[in-house]
Amino acid sequence: MELTVNEKRLLAVLGEHGSTEASILADELSTDAAAVVQWAHLAAGRGLVQVNREVLEEYQLTEEGESYARDGLPERQVVESIDGEIPMGELSRHPLAKVAIGWMRKNNWITIDRGIAKKAEATPESPEELALRKIAAGGADPGDCGELKSRGLVTVHEEVRWIIEITPEGKKLLEAGIDLRPAVGTLSREQILSGSWRDEALRRYSLATPPRRIYPGKPHPYRQILDEVRNLLLEMGFSEFSGNIVQSVFWNFDALFQPQDHPAREMQDTFYLDLTSPLPDGWEKIRDMHEHGGGTSSTGWGGAWDKTKAEGSVLRTHSTALSIQYLAAHPEPPVKAFSLSRVYRRESIDPTHLAEFEQLEGIVMDEGVTFSHLLGFLKEFYHRMGFSDVRFRPAYFPYTEPSVEPEVWVDGLGWVELGGAGIFREEVTAPFGISYPVLAWGLGISRVAMLRLGLKDLRQLYKSDIDWIRNTPSYRRI
Amino acid sequence: MAIITLNYEYLERLTRTDKDTIIKALPMIGSDIERLEEDHADVEFFPDRTDLYSVEGVARAMRGFLGIETGLPEYPVHESDVSFSVDPGLAGIRPVLGSAVIRNLRFDDASIESVMALQEALHWAIGRGRSKVAIGVHDLSTVTPPFRYIASPRDRQFVPLDYTESMTMDQILAEHPKGKAYAGIVEHFDRFPLIIDANDQVLSFPPIINGELTRVTSATTDILLDVTGTDERAVQNTVAIICSAFAEAGGTIESVTIDGQKTPSLEPVERIIDCNECAELIGVPVTPESIVPLLEKMRFGAEPLEGSKVLVFVPCYRADIMHDWDIFEDVAIAYGFDRFPATLPPTFTIGTEDPASRLARVVSGIAIGLGYTEVMPFTLTNERVSYDQMQRPGSDAALTVLHPISIENTMVRTDLLPMLLEILQLNKHRELPQRIFTVGDVNERALTYQKVAGAAIHPAADFSEIYATVDALLRELGADTLTIAASDDPAFLAGRQGAIMNGSEKIGCFGELHPDVIVGFDLEHPVIGFEIDLRSFL
Repeated sequence: MELTVNEKRLLAVLGEHGSTEASILADELSTDAAAVVQWAHLAAGRGLVQVNREVLEEYQLTEEGESYARDGLPERQVVESIDGEIPMGELSRHPLAKVAIGWMRKNNWITIDRGIAKKAEATPESPEELALRKIAAGGADPGDCGELKSRGLVTVHEEVRWIIEITPEGKKLLEAGIDLRPAVGTLSREQILSGSWRDEALRRYSLATPPRRIYPGKPHPYRQILDEVRNLLLEMGFSEFSGNIVQSVFWNFDALFQPQDHPAREMQDTFYLDLTSPLPDGWEKIRDMHEHGGGTSSTGWGGAWDKTKAEGSVLRTHSTALSIQYLAAHPEPPVKAFSLSRVYRRESIDPTHLAEFEQLEGIVMDEGVTFSHLLGFLKEFYHRMGFSDVRFRPAYFPYTEPSVEPEVWVDGLGWVELGGAGIFREEVTAPFGISYPVLAWGLGISRVAMLRLGLKDLRQLYKSDIDWIRNTPSYRRI
Repeated sequence: MAIITLNYEYLERLTRTDKDTIIKALPMIGSDIERLEEDHADVEFFPDRTDLYSVEGVARAMRGFLGIETGLPEYPVHESDVSFSVDPGLAGIRPVLGSAVIRNLRFDDASIESVMALQEALHWAIGRGRSKVAIGVHDLSTVTPPFRYIASPRDRQFVPLDYTESMTMDQILAEHPKGKAYAGIVEHFDRFPLIIDANDQVLSFPPIINGELTRVTSATTDILLDVTGTDERAVQNTVAIICSAFAEAGGTIESVTIDGQKTPSLEPVERIIDCNECAELIGVPVTPESIVPLLEKMRFGAEPLEGSKVLVFVPCYRADIMHDWDIFEDVAIAYGFDRFPATLPPTFTIGTEDPASRLARVVSGIAIGLGYTEVMPFTLTNERVSYDQMQRPGSDAALTVLHPISIENTMVRTDLLPMLLEILQLNKHRELPQRIFTVGDVNERALTYQKVAGAAIHPAADFSEIYATVDALLRELGADTLTIAASDDPAFLAGRQGAIMNGSEKIGCFGELHPDVIVGFDLEHPVIGFEIDLRSFL
């Protein structure tokens, strides 16, 4: 049993009294009665003392009450002034008549008959007079004083008295001896350096009391997933690149051999801007590729390619718009690079669709890389992401051939399609003088975050509930 | 992507094997099985494989893939005396016509359903919502050749499909459900495309609606196909896909002479490929001997030539084969994606972090050390939040999107602090203090760059706290050349704010948010904040 130092002091003093009032203990302990009662309750919780509450009523005369105690109540003063009989008209001229008449009648000191008040033969002391007399004399228990209170002659004070009594257990503890040194909470520099802490009664804290909750500054749970992905790609020898949110239609679509009438280019799916973007040097090669395959084994899309369409501007719809520019700037092998960038789709926002989200894209360009290597990179990447089972299915993307969709096994969900991949078509690479295959794969990281964080609503990633961030642990075992 | 309904009974009859075998193999040629029902499966195919948009097309591919019938399917075109003429007045309106006659069909519910679904899927995938290509299928027995495709006056009347009364073409655009849906394609022309027979009876008003006269029923055995459009290649691809599907359903294809030209051609396209190139792309050894059966499995015809060359016959319905690599992908699919070795190339590379990412990472670490928690707000916002609620004037640098989805998302953010105040607003009822920050992209015209911003709300938040915070952040960034100057940003209280200066250029701000801004974001306690352009640290 770990008593507070105040409980110990209380017990020590109480031991001499056995049972006494809190205010008396308070004087001896140089504190106030409220503190004593609080300590006593603590000790009572351990069965060392008993706390009894007594309520005392104390009566005090008001100023008016004091004067009546001296001169008699109005009814007494008036009745004494009557001799035998008196007409009511005359009686009511007495200055105290208004109050007195009712009480005199109530006390049967007078009777009234046809306008004449007749004094009784005896006018014995009334209960009010008795009570007033007792209170004035300082006597307790005035009995029925209710009328005096309602007449405003007396005020009543309740006084609570706390009687504290030591129990046999308390006595036993006291006899065994208690350490009355004050408990030390925070150690001072002086106590540590001097070694005086050895002589102190160090407070022992209760583990049953939960700690105060504090919240550290921390990275967003989604950021931790993005950083994990970034790190594992850096570990795999990929270099990171980034770029502008606003892209020309040329880089976003045309350079990727997306036909100019492709539905994905329409206003319903893509955010267009009122901004003209200049085309890079050599744009004619892209035109030729679209129109007739530009000297490769491709037929092209046929028809006429419209330069003004390509000069439009959009919010990038995929990170591939950045990848092709990176390749155009780094046409010599080997290239191993990635970007993690926000992309934009003109989608109505709901729990599973957002108008903006993060996309990862990895590219590998090197002499002798093949589709087999693409599958190798995908497998390695997803294994490092914590997905041990990966399988591949044929797929279609406008700018890759062959194309593949990786699927990963998620317990409880089964095979989940996670991203897309392929080898950039020759129609995409040839105009930029890239003469080796480019392996590419993309992944909507927010999908991974939903799986990882168990979210039902994607918006929670971007319009975050601070409590969710505070309560999502930073570390997870991979 | 198109979802195709595969009726099991019809699919099994055409494929000549059981449905379970087919369904198991389907994903391995590139499809997603959406739903498996009692009597049918709904399957999604990719937009390049429009030849798979019918039960007939799927059955043809599966017979090859499962080894039931491999190699090039041949579709002979028999001569007929049906002819068509095209009015030169259609140039600039809808000039391209493709046509064929299909005889000896025996329709049942499953095959009619399949043909109708094929038409709809092609209208979407190749036809771009009927603007580029539109398809009409007519009961040939109800009309008399020769046919004429003309640019007709708009007041021409006929009874459209599903109606009993005659209507003008203008009326059809205004009142018929299909007319209303597709009016946008033709309504701006003086004359409308129209197909009529020798007796001036109307077959079709392309691309809007057929006439009721030529409605196809289960009694129909002979069909006239019309495919109209604006692009020759797309029209011919569509004709080939539909004719080959009808042929698979048991029909006999006959030619139609259009302005003296005999059509359609269902002949394969020849391509000479090199096995070594294929092996270099897919990463498994390929020889002429090994590639021929793989090609035949995918329904190509193939003949080895000298050396590593192979002559490939591409079926008429494979509009997606534009390049040799398209054939190599089919070789890989036939080989089986699950059989591929997944290996890593030997080249050694060193990964380097993007300098902007590195800076963001360090800045975040400092902010977290200062007790701030990261948030990642949207980058799309609007002028009200970015400027009006901040009591700031609008910015010329703000880039607004042309067709926003909602009034909430009209522009790419130029500032981060308003986004943080929005997040504080969302978390109004969460425990205080709250201290949040974000490092992220903002956009000025076409230029994207990084900023950091932080905001804190609690009853004792004041200027000295934010000044100390900004001072610590700048010290940690080693920014000893930056200075602090007086500032009059209306978002902050006068006399309780500062500007962060790089020489004479203002690169950041901090202070106590103006009480009107606080109330404007529906907040109730003092809010302090800062925002810094990170470009000068790179």
